[in-house]
Amino acid sequence: MNQKFLKKKFYLYYLNPKIDFPSRYERREYAFIHFGEETMHRHISFNAKEKLLDYLKVNVPMHSYYSSAYYQNPSADNMNEKKWMGADLIFDLDADDLPSADKLTYEEALEKIKRELMKLLDFLIEDFGFDEKNITVYFSGHRGYHCHVTDKRVLELGSQERREIVDYIMARGLELKEIIKERPIQKGKFLDKTLEINPEKGGWKGRIARAIIKFFKEIKEMEREKALQELEKIHGIGRKMAEKIYDVLHDERKIERIEEGKIDQATEFKKIIKPLIKKIAISLYSQTDEPVTADIKRLIRLPGSLHGKTGLKVTKVSNIEEFNPLNDAVVFGDDMVKIKVEKPFKIKMKEEKYELKKGIVKVPEYVAVFAIARNFATHS
Amino acid sequence: MDLFKIAKYPFIEEAKEWVRKEKIDVEEILFDGIYERARNRGVERVMQALYKGIINDAILLNEVDCMMEVLSYPIARMLVVAIESDYLLRRYALAEAKKAYENMKRDSPEIIIEIGKEFGIEFKDGCIHFTDYLKFAPTWDIKWKLVNRELRQGYVRLDKNEIARLLQEAIRKKIYDELSYLFAPQEVKKVFKEEIIAIRNKIALKERKETEKYEDINFEDFPPCIKNLISAIKSGINVPHVGRFTVVTFLNAIGQSTNEILKIFSSIPDFNEEKTLYQIEHITGKISGTIYSTPKCDTIRTWGLCYPDELCKKIWHPLIYYRKKRRK
Ligand code: SF4
Repeated sequence: MNQKFLKKKFYLYYLNPKIDFPSRYERREYAFIHFGEETMHRHISFNAKEKLLDYLKVNVPMHSYYSSAYYQNPSADNMNEKKWMGADLIFDLDADDLPSADKLTYEEALEKIKRELMKLLDFLIEDFGFDEKNITVYFSGHRGYHCHVTDKRVLELGSQERREIVDYIMARGLELKEIIKERPIQKGKFLDKTLEINPEKGGWKGRIARAIIKFFKEIKEMEREKALQELEKIHGIGRKMAEKIYDVLHDERKIERIEEGKIDQATEFKKIIKPLIKKIAISLYSQTDEPVTADIKRLIRLPGSLHGKTGLKVTKVSNIEEFNPLNDAVVFGDDMVKIKVEKPFKIKMKEEKYELKKGIVKVPEYVAVFAIARNFATHS
Repeated sequence: MDLFKIAKYPFIEEAKEWVRKEKIDVEEILFDGIYERARNRGVERVMQALYKGIINDAILLNEVDCMMEVLSYPIARMLVVAIESDYLLRRYALAEAKKAYENMKRDSPEIIIEIGKEFGIEFKDGCIHFTDYLKFAPTWDIKWKLVNRELRQGYVRLDKNEIARLLQEAIRKKIYDELSYLFAPQEVKKVFKEEIIAIRNKIALKERKETEKYEDINFEDFPPCIKNLISAIKSGINVPHVGRFTVVTFLNAIGQSTNEILKIFSSIPDFNEEKTLYQIEHITGKISGTIYSTPKCDTIRTWGLCYPDELCKKIWHPLIYYRKKRRK
């Protein structure tokens, strides 16, 4: 019943869909999951755009994918015969990978992922130097974003090389002693250590330095009590050490040294660095899955297709700050439809708030599709 | 044409061109008496590669010295190909690359840039693009991981020696790849008949030594992190570099041979025997002299590869886990 309803709605969309064809679309493998089936139809290729559109119209798939890789024979059913030629670099940020995923509402999860996405873009542009025109961001149709990098220099990178990129943005394998120099200095009779930072430098060196300076500035601006509390939040910093740090930040002579890039009392200050790194790095992490991908042959959702678990469109995002999936990825109309709510839920779609309680209600078509696809309601 | 330059770097395009221009053919190099010196030096190159892992610089005082040095290179290559041993091939490619590395370290930056260009590496104010960096850098070494490098606007900052080190890898790869597809002319086997036999015997001896069975090990005694990694590797799941590194250092530390370690890796999706072998031999100190030690639990944990069990609470290093388990 539900599936039938969704399929009918999807069909209407696929009569005239807005598909963004992937570059070198004839070289890609396509894969689909149809309504009412579990297995995936794989190893499909299309040598003309119309044929892909026909497939969508005839089969009305619940989920549609294409391969990040392109092949000599995309429809061959094993890797050897497919003959890998290269692959886009794809980053897949999904709220399911957030450590706190279960506790967040749909909107909160999307918002959090968006912040990770902003960080990712900063890495890609500032550090990796990709041109913005080679980076495309898509809303995944569910709880995440995909970021496609199509710079020709990355197409042939193997999975180990891609892994290095992933490690970079997640700060995995970051070795502080490789990045921040520790120098012994004479302090009266004793030997102390000083950390040398340089915000002008590239890579993590500069990132960490800038983060430290920004953090110090913020702490310095705060009232004493608040600053101390803020410092104490950091693992390993107690009241005494917090006071020491706060006082250093208000000592003109010492501030001067920090501005020169020298941080004395290395041991205390080193404690601050770790949490700062966590903040800068892309922090998605789940045990089983790579949050961002080094895979050179994975399947990604076809831009412009519909996600079977939300009815939302995989949508190109041009203005990230303003993008609102529950508005911009909605394709269905506002004819009123009767649904039977099984699980009460709240959602804001198309600027309208819906608070649905158990029982039969009338809602616009787009809310109906979303609720039914997410299994919150049935079609009545 | 700078003969001194091509004598030091006989693998560059310019050297090939010079041989072509001089119109010296294979026949002459192999039989003509005046090239005796080049032939001897060619044999020496291969011997040194096999015995010492690096080829010594020849003394180059005049143009004739240089000529002989340049010609000894194709001779050495023919000899290596004629011996038909992958073991020698790997060793030889590395030894030539190391020799070039030593020279590049002493040479001017211009030469390094020139050689880099042969490998399609573009330089920008002494920096190279990260994709080139990733192609050649030994990123299983923490120091070389991209995350620990200064990366800005797509370019990685390296000092001269580091660039030379990257080029060493590029050169090694080039020589290995080229020689893998070559066949030696029949005459080579005749001219160097005795040398070929001697070298083959030596290789057989070395290889036997390396494949000898080491002490019996029991997979069940491995710490969970290593077990996990090995099962992942065996079932064809892509394991991060640091994970592979950990496994190699661990197996080496408990006395597994290179070949046994290699076997474990043979099912990874992008398995490349030559590359993997090279990495194993590097990590285990067979070719670099430095043996990398197995990372501590702390480190493994930060890589997200730690899956502790009860015994793990009492230890701080995977090898200690293994030893404790064995003693039981
Ligand atoms: S505690 Fe150490 S030995 Fe145990 S799984 Fe973690 S890293 Fe391995």
